[in-house]
Amino acid sequence: MTGIRFERVSVAYDGTTVLDALDLTVEPGEVMALLGPSGSGKTTALRAVAGFVRPASGRVFLGGRDVTGLPPHRRGIGMVVQQYALFPHMRVADNVAFGLRAQKVPRREIPARVAEALEMTGMGEYGRRYPRELSGGQQQRVAIARALAVRPGVLLLDEPLSALDARLRSGMLAELARLHRELPDVTILYVTHDQVEALTLADRIAVMDRARLQDVGTPRELYRAPRTEFTASFVGNANLLPVTVGSTGVAFDGVELQVDTQGVAKGAAATLCVRPHLVGLGPGPNRLAGVVGEIQWRGATHRLYVDVGGHRVMADVRELRRPPAPGEAVEMHFAPEDAVLLAAGVSRD
Amino acid sequence: MTRRLTWALPPALLLAAAFLYPLALVVRQSFRPDTGGTSLQPYTDVLGSVAFREALWTTVWLALAATACCLVLGFFLALVIAFVPFPGAKAVARFVDVFLSFPSFLITLALLFLYGTVGMANGLWTEVTGAASGPFRFLTTPWGILLAEVTYFTPFVMRPLLAAFSQLDTAQVEVAASLGARPGQIVGRVILPEALPALAAGGGLVLVLCLNEFGIVLFTGAKGVTTLPMLVYSKAILESEYPGACVVAVVNVLVSVGLYGLYRVVSRRAGA
Amino acid sequence: MLVHSRTGKWTLWVLFLLLFLPLFALPLLVILAASFAGHWSGVLPSDFTTAHYTAATSGESLQALITSLVTAVTASLLALAVGTWGALGAHALPRPLRRVLDALFVLPVAVPSVVVGLAVLVAFSQPPVLLNGTRWIVILAHTVLVTAFAYQSVSAAVLRLDPAYEQAAASLGARPAYVLWRVRLPLLLPSLTAAAGLCFALSMGELSATMMLYPPDWVPLPVQIYAATDRGSLFTGSALAVVLMAATLLVLFAVARIRTRASYR
Repeated sequence: MTGIRFERVSVAYDGTTVLDALDLTVEPGEVMALLGPSGSGKTTALRAVAGFVRPASGRVFLGGRDVTGLPPHRRGIGMVVQQYALFPHMRVADNVAFGLRAQKVPRREIPARVAEALEMTGMGEYGRRYPRELSGGQQQRVAIARALAVRPGVLLLDEPLSALDARLRSGMLAELARLHRELPDVTILYVTHDQVEALTLADRIAVMDRARLQDVGTPRELYRAPRTEFTASFVGNANLLPVTVGSTGVAFDGVELQVDTQGVAKGAAATLCVRPHLVGLGPGPNRLAGVVGEIQWRGATHRLYVDVGGHRVMADVRELRRPPAPGEAVEMHFAPEDAVLLAAGVSRD
Repeated sequence: MTRRLTWALPPALLLAAAFLYPLALVVRQSFRPDTGGTSLQPYTDVLGSVAFREALWTTVWLALAATACCLVLGFFLALVIAFVPFPGAKAVARFVDVFLSFPSFLITLALLFLYGTVGMANGLWTEVTGAASGPFRFLTTPWGILLAEVTYFTPFVMRPLLAAFSQLDTAQVEVAASLGARPGQIVGRVILPEALPALAAGGGLVLVLCLNEFGIVLFTGAKGVTTLPMLVYSKAILESEYPGACVVAVVNVLVSVGLYGLYRVVSRRAGA
Repeated sequence: MLVHSRTGKWTLWVLFLLLFLPLFALPLLVILAASFAGHWSGVLPSDFTTAHYTAATSGESLQALITSLVTAVTASLLALAVGTWGALGAHALPRPLRRVLDALFVLPVAVPSVVVGLAVLVAFSQPPVLLNGTRWIVILAHTVLVTAFAYQSVSAAVLRLDPAYEQAAASLGARPAYVLWRVRLPLLLPSLTAAAGLCFALSMGELSATMMLYPPDWVPLPVQIYAATDRGSLFTGSALAVVLMAATLLVLFAVARIRTRASYR
């Protein structure tokens, strides 16, 4: 069982800090997603674990062992990258056997290990093929089989699904989840910019932005109770309303709203986060009145953009029989327990 | 880091031993006249001679003229192959590649049959006019060498150009045409700017190769036309005058490297 | 696509052919025709014969062909080894040092081949290494001359090689030497064969340095061609030239076959 620990890991290229003092622990057997926009430092963090970038400062531990100065081939990891990097001059079986041969696994054990890894990813039939004879999804499976064949304690996945089309992607997502159930001991570090992938697959998500770790938590925690505006807007959609904290609630655009103000000083400026799908149409508690700016039909739902005192509030409601027209006045509401108050001090800026 | 350096060192040392060390010995020998001691005597002897100055001048102007002709001709031919393609244009492009793998002196050999005193051109002339001999006698003059060099080195300009043209988005040409640009404008405003780096690279290579060309000159057999490489050969091998040969060699290297450097500066200023 | 009018196109094509045929196609055809000619003093050759080829593929001439082939193969392989090693080594170095190595390996292109010949002659006619008068001095000069081209084409290929492959290999536990042997070199194989072909062709046609260096018992084909034309046997010279071109093309063709196979995998 191998965990991963980052201890104040910083990486800089040509004077630009691309990873700033990352502190993060991934428990053995856990799936940790590194989620963030491009340039957030998430891939750099993964490459620091693999050994392809050398931290300017800080240490990386694998299974309690300091590997900061260790070359990649002595770290005992498995890795799958965006474009798979299957060796084009080797058949699928030789690709999968590559790590075993490189690590001098006894020759007679290799065929069984290769077959096992290919079976596990549903590619048992394709051993004799060359990578260029496979589809993108099949190449992806071979890349995973190749990484798993060496039985790594840690599996690093760098945007593994981003080269696939949408339909294949959701199928592969289910496959990855199944693989992890079959191999519960493998610790997985999963880099992605796609919140759905992170929410579906990860035990915990580390949200990254601008070279820094913004937030860590289970998908549910981050979604229900984000600690920063960045997390709130990057993990799921969010209405972020500027409010002033009062004694029993907050004031938004002159309207009193009932929300939990625990932990935020009275009179302070803060941000109220409400998920669009938790906003209802019609009168109710925590009433917001405004004018419809735009309305989009999305099949099962309608998305309303409503102008409330100069602020745009999004509401996702079940498909409406008679949707309001742009310019029409509407009322909206939300339950007090569905709103999260973010103190100004923990917003990212 | 030190390990990486250790790995890069053996091939570098091999090349240094087989190339830099001999080159250094040439420089050393150029300061050692046959009469003994170390002096500038070989330099004053060689630089003062008429033969050397003529060779230097011939080499430089031939190389510059050949390079200019190759650039113009190569640009035109590559342009037609790439943008006004005809059936067989691909085969012509292939032929250019094949041409590059042949030695230069073959061209001079061929020109002997074409324009030599008893060659095709003069044969045609005497048959048609009944004259005793033909008017084509330029083969043993610098013009013959110029023709051979232009013939042989134009493909060296065409190949990088064709590669550059194949990367040029044809949509650009089509959009320009759809906006009403005439072919001349498209060539000047769209194609030429894209092709400049390839043109500059090809021209630089041709310049250096022309300055250093030996086979074409040797095969012409023209006693009146001497270039620097030819002078090195005749001094060293025919006259066994090594210090003098070394002086000419040093000058030739300096001229080649110097003109090439100048060319790079000029072409970079010109935006290539 | 550039010129749309029919007359415009035809004008350009006719101009193209008027320039291209006499300048590039005619010389090679003329050599081919001359190699079969028994006599040529008018417009066209006459008295066709294959006698020049009989002469060109026997005795001294055959020896010259073999000499050229041995020299070219040896020099290309040596140049390929040194050039590839140099290019791979340089690639791993930090940029300033890589520049130094680039310059060192490209320098032989800028230096006249005659001067390379002279330098090799001067250096290896004296202790500590005496090669003058042996075939090795010719092979050494050829190697120096073509190494530059091998280095350049391999180093361009190394630069194009996606680092993801070697990183994937390293992440699977492969040591650098294993990665080099099993991943990087096989992926470079198409470029290596292309470089080998280039080196071979250059060495086959090398005349400048060779003229300075060849010992009497190691006369390569280009020198033989020069000797023939210099004594006035132009037709024999042409037949030898055709043999030289054919041998070069044959080897290049074989190399291209290997290359397609290598890149197809």
